[in-house]
Parts: sequence; C-alpha cells; structure tokens
Amino acid sequence: MIAARSPGDGGARRREATDLYATVLEVVKRYHGAARITRVSYGAGMPVDRLRLVMDRLLALGLLQSEEIDGRPAFDITARGQEFLDTYWKMRGFVEGLEHSTDRRAPNNRR
Amino acid sequence: MTDTHVPKGARVRLGVVDGDLEAEGGSTIQAEGTVRVQGEARFSGDVIVEGGLECRELRSRHGQVRVTGDFTATEKVSTDEGELEVGGAFRARDVDIDRRLSLGGPATVETLEVGGRLEGASTLSAKEVNVGGHFSLVGKITAESVEAGGSVELQEVALDDLEVGGMVRVGNGTIRHRITVGGKFTSDGRIHFGDFSAGGFAEFRDTAEGGSIEVGGVLSAKKDLTFTHLEIGGMGDILGSARGIDVEVGGKFSVGGGLELSGSLEVGGMISVGATLQAGRIEVGGKLTAERAIAGGKAEIGGVVSTRSGLKAQLIELGRTSRATGPLVGGRVELSRGARAEDVFGESVELDRKCEVHRVVARDVIIGKGSTVDEVVYSGTLRVDSGATIRSTPQKVATLPTFPL
Repeated sequence: MIAARSPGDGGARRREATDLYATVLEVVKRYHGAARITRVSYGAGMPVDRLRLVMDRLLALGLLQSEEIDGRPAFDITARGQEFLDTYWKMRGFVEGLEHSTDRRAPNNRR
Repeated sequence: MTDTHVPKGARVRLGVVDGDLEAEGGSTIQAEGTVRVQGEARFSGDVIVEGGLECRELRSRHGQVRVTGDFTATEKVSTDEGELEVGGAFRARDVDIDRRLSLGGPATVETLEVGGRLEGASTLSAKEVNVGGHFSLVGKITAESVEAGGSVELQEVALDDLEVGGMVRVGNGTIRHRITVGGKFTSDGRIHFGDFSAGGFAEFRDTAEGGSIEVGGVLSAKKDLTFTHLEIGGMGDILGSARGIDVEVGGKFSVGGGLELSGSLEVGGMISVGATLQAGRIEVGGKLTAERAIAGGKAEIGGVVSTRSGLKAQLIELGRTSRATGPLVGGRVELSRGARAEDVFGESVELDRKCEVHRVVARDVIIGKGSTVDEVVYSGTLRVDSGATIRSTPQKVATLPTFPL
C-alpha cells in the first residue's frame, strides 16, 4: 500500500482520490495484464467492495481495461493510465521537493 | 504410503508422514523435531505447526498457516486467500501467497509472489520476488529481480533489477542493472546501480554511483554523485560533488562542490556550483553561478552568469540583455544586444548594440552602436561603431597581458 506520506514527514496527508487511483494502478501494473480483483485488494490494502468502486471509476476513465480470462475479469493498465501515473508521481515529486526545500529554509528549523 | 488427516480443532503430535498431510482449521500439529511429509501438505483454515515442517508441496486456503520452526518445501508453496508465517528458516522453490508472508529466519526461494505484504526479519535469497503491496526486509536481499506495486523497505541489497510502483527505501548495496521507481526513492547508505529512473523524487543520502539517472520531479543527493547521464525534469540539489558525462535539468540545479562533465550541461533555469564547473559545453537558459566555470567548447548563457574567478570557454555567447559578473575568457566572446559584463578577455571579442563592458582585452575587438566600454586593450584590430563610446583611449599593445584562468 502506498502511504500518502512517508514516515518522518511530520503528519499524514489525507489520501485523496488520485492517491487511491495511483495505488490501484501501480498494483495492477505488477500483474502484466492478469490482475485479479482479490489480488489487487491485497496489494492496495483495500477491501474488495470498496476497490470495486475505484476499479469501475478507473475503467470509466479509460485508465484501466479488463478482459475475461478463464471466465473471470483480469485487469490491465492502459496507456492513458500510465500517463496518469507518470504525471501523478512527477507532481508528487515536485510537492515533496518543494516541501523539502521549505523545511530546510524555515527559520524555526535553525538551531 | 499412508495419508494423515488432522481434523478441525485437533491437537496432534507428528514426526514422519509417509503420504500426504491434511489439516483442518483450528488444528495444531506438534512436531517431533520436524514434521517430515513425504507428499503434499494441504491445510484449510488456521493451522499451527509447532516446530519444523518439511514437505514436497504446501497448499493452504482460507486461513493463516503458522510454522514456528524451519520450513522446507522442495517444490511449491501456495495459499488461496490465506497467509503464511514462518518463525525459522524458509526454503522453497516456488512460492505464491495471496495475502501476507511473514519470515522470521533466513529464506531461500526461486520465485516468490505475494499479493499483499511480504515481511522478513532476516536475509532473503531469490531469483524473482514480486509483491503486490508492501515489502520490507531487515537482512540482506540477494535476487535477480524485485518488483512491488506499493512500497519497499530494504537494508543491504544485491540485485539485478528493482522495479517499484510507489516508494522505495534501501540501505546500501548494488543494483547492477536498473532501478525503476514510480514515486519516491531514498537510499540511506552507499549505493551502486546501473540505470536509474524515478518518476517523482529521488534522494541519495550517501555517496551514489551509477549510470544514466532520470528523475521526473526532484533529485536530492546529500553527498557525492557519479553518473553517466543525468536528466532531471524539475530540480536537482547535490550537496557534495558530481561527476559524469551529461546533465540536462529542466528547472533549477545546484551542486555544493564541483561539477565535472566530459559532455554537455544544459539547464533550462538556474544552476549554482560551489566550486569549479567543468564541461565540454555549457548551455544555461537562466542563471549560472559558480566559483569558476570552464567549457572546452561553447558556453551559452541566456540570462545571468556570475563567477568569482571567471567563465572560460572556446566560444562564449551571452544572450540579449544578459549580465555577467566575474571575468569572461575566450576564445571568441560574443555579447548580444544590451548585455552587460565586467572584464572580457579573448582572441576576438564582439559586442552587439547597447552593451556595457568595463574592460575588453583581446586581439581583435568589435564594438557595436550604442555600446559603452571603459577600457580597451588590443593587439590586432579594433572596429568601433560610430555610436559607441570608449571612456579611455584604447591601447594597442604588441603582446596582450596574460588572461585569467
């Protein structure tokens, strides 16, 4: 499960819809087109009923695709889903980097 | 061969099982040292093995299997909606766990796939490790590839490939081929790697040495960094020194020590180098600050260049309305319209219109219309446009004074 903030960041940020989408997409990606919903639920740390809503949304947004394998749906990330992930992580990197530099320059951090 | 069946909730004592072993939920198997199953172990529900377990294959469903001692499966271990906890050493060929695998002792496997969490309190040796969610290990990991969808926390690593969707934190070691991280990468100790790619944020807290490095967002290195190609989408901050072939940074880049590149440096925004910047070619869109900057070929500055000892290059081009603090030493030096500089030295120096320069020392000098120069020393030719101003009489000398740098 991807934490919204890493340990030591000083307080947890509430997980937003985009964080959940990224979490789910990253887990789905690991299965290279054969992701089952139960496996994704363990990977994403989310109960299946709640995950199903997120997956439906991702399918509707075109970030995920599914096909029947052995009579059961298997999920895969789409090119658009990968694009979402690239943008999401880049933005998170910027935010983290900016907070990092702000922390270092904050007067109350100087001893 | 005789199969053994342990009914629901039973507590039995077993040593050698000739055939297969079946155990139902809530049962506890006390091992006479180690339970040695010649065939397959099939568990349903929660089953505890007090002591060691050896079998050809373990299959469990809908529950937690806990082996307090060592566990060896010569072939496969699989759980269906279940988890496995091993207190001692763990050895198996192929492992496929749905929910969680917890390892108390050293583990040796060929392939290891966990849907949810993999936690290890000792070492792990594997060919392939694939985890859907979180993977943490206290001891050293030796593997060809590690993949995880969520987050990974490792100490000492000896890997070929590491691919993680979310976040990675490693202690020290080597990742020979490639590190690919969707989100954030942190290394606490010394690390060596082949190629590196992080979508968001990369932080090297100790010396890092690798090949090509690509970071989508922000790179932070607390000590020295060595690479072949470094590409940063956003910002880069290296507190130690950096060495490599090429650097390409979209935004802001700072190096506390020196920056030594055999190829080119391209920075869209700003770059600051605490000691010497040395590169084959320098191209800065915004501002360059360094103790000194030396380019074997061309140095092209769009905005501001500020050095204490100077900027030296075969060809220096300052963009329109750009500013230079500290000496510029060519080769050829070209200042575009409206540029301002202090002392400029070169084989040939050409000022476009409306430039302002304190002193020009060069063999051949061209001063454009509307430009102002306090002092000109030349040894070859001087061409001054009618609208240009030279505040003191130009001095033609037989030999130019020695240039700085």
